Amino acid sequence: MPRPDDDAPPAPFRPLLRQGVRFGREAAERPILMFEDVYKSYRPGAPVLRGMNLVIERGEFVFVTGASGSGKSTLLRMLYRAETVDKGRILFMGRDVARLTAESVPFLRRNLGVVFQDFKLVKAWSVYENVAIALEVLGLPGRLIRARVGEALERVGLQGRGEDPAGVLSGGEQQRVAIARAIVGEPALLLADEPTGNLDPQLALDILGLFEEINEGGTTIFFATHDRSLLDVRARRIIVLDEGRAVDIAGTLSPPFEDQYESLPH
Amino acid sequence: MISGPIGTTRRAQRGMLREWRLQALSVFSLAVAFVCLGAALLVVSNLSAVEERWAHAGRASIYLKDNATEDDVESFRTALAAVPGVTKVRYVSGGQARAEFGAEQVPAHPELASLPVEAFPASIEIEVRPDLPDEKLQAIVAKLHQLPVVDDVETYRTWTDRLAGLVRGGVAAAIVLALVVLAAVLAVVGSTIRLALQRRSTEVEVLRLVGATDGFVKGPFLVEGIAQGAMGAMGALALLGILFTMVRSRMDGELSALIGVEPSFLPWQMAVAMVALGAVLGAVAALLGLRKLVAV
Repeated sequence: MPRPDDDAPPAPFRPLLRQGVRFGREAAERPILMFEDVYKSYRPGAPVLRGMNLVIERGEFVFVTGASGSGKSTLLRMLYRAETVDKGRILFMGRDVARLTAESVPFLRRNLGVVFQDFKLVKAWSVYENVAIALEVLGLPGRLIRARVGEALERVGLQGRGEDPAGVLSGGEQQRVAIARAIVGEPALLLADEPTGNLDPQLALDILGLFEEINEGGTTIFFATHDRSLLDVRARRIIVLDEGRAVDIAGTLSPPFEDQYESLPH
Repeated sequence: MISGPIGTTRRAQRGMLREWRLQALSVFSLAVAFVCLGAALLVVSNLSAVEERWAHAGRASIYLKDNATEDDVESFRTALAAVPGVTKVRYVSGGQARAEFGAEQVPAHPELASLPVEAFPASIEIEVRPDLPDEKLQAIVAKLHQLPVVDDVETYRTWTDRLAGLVRGGVAAAIVLALVVLAAVLAVVGSTIRLALQRRSTEVEVLRLVGATDGFVKGPFLVEGIAQGAMGAMGALALLGILFTMVRSRMDGELSALIGVEPSFLPWQMAVAMVALGAVLGAVAALLGLRKLVAV
């Protein structure tokens, strides 16, 4: 579906963290995401993350992997401020997420897309309603919402399914709806927390392909998974969470990745 | 714009339609509570009307002593007609009073036909201007009491006082019922909102995740609370209206004639106030129910 501003030069990314307060132009030059000495613990003496450092540049496709309980979901939850860090900083476009006020958190989330393993769709709503809600919170005009939702559904291969109740869709289709909802606001960063965990291997590869297409459009993808078959599909930067720290394995494919992964202390 | 009041109302409407059974149960419960309050207000407003009517009855009966002569009566009538505020003076002899009473009551109660004429004292019925202040009427009565031909003066004040007591009791009952309604609304709407929140926890979680502000998330629930309160009050008014019509249609017309006032439904201002009260209470209850919103 053509967009009215197709011919216009792309505007620099300027995320809105509070109403009327935008990032400066220089924010677009910074890494999109930086973890600086991040600590997080749920139980005393058993930290999930201990002094984690990580830098992610704009447009990257980064896998985050590790054993169950290694802190993948915690990492993502801290990013969209469902959790707070105990120590350290998480900088999203130079802004410390951990120091945002409660009133600013919704504005942070409007600049992020999040996809979950359990889809988090409202089953009683239609496909259209599930996707449109991400734009309704922005207060966009209905005409624009309809156009952009149609476009997002087309991108995930669900064109013409807007009226279907979300509850009757298959798992793969539901995940596509969740992805459409995550991308409809054109976020700079897309977080995926085990998005293929509930899908069969073929569907998982389809969904991964969808994320790759979105990444080709310039969106940074932060993809948490423990499914090693997905990591081998293409050479991607892989972050392994181990002992509460991030181990960077850039642009590798198995068997080198296998070797490196296996050589890590578990 | 979607996220303005129209968008909030639309989302509230969508939520209410999807959970119409829960909403209907809540509205019905509130209507029952409001019927009690409305009924009390209906009684109070009608008693107030009767009190008002009798407080300004504009007439008095002056009972004459048995030894009053015709000359006494005639000069008394003339003097009364000259009193400022008195508009009409009528002499009723004992025989006339007996005859009037017989015409009105004997057909229904034949045993009263044997009452002797002595049981009916002669009197002078006076009518005063309806706008005559109570103090002036009381001053006239006090002077009349001092006259030698006057045995007693009835201004129907006793009845007015009794009615005023009844009205005060009714107002007290209405206040108690208003408190009961307040508690009922807070409990019913609060529980409904909490239940709706629980049933729609995924919806709330999704809204939080896509960056909805507190106001955006809470708005529809608040509108639902207001709608439940207002609809409960409106339902109660409709039910009361039906009951009132049924009762009035069976009411003896002579009763209305006797008390001098036609029974009337709640004044529109009171009905509007009841609906507004329902809406406000619904909003407060919803806000209280929303204190513990699903946090993501």
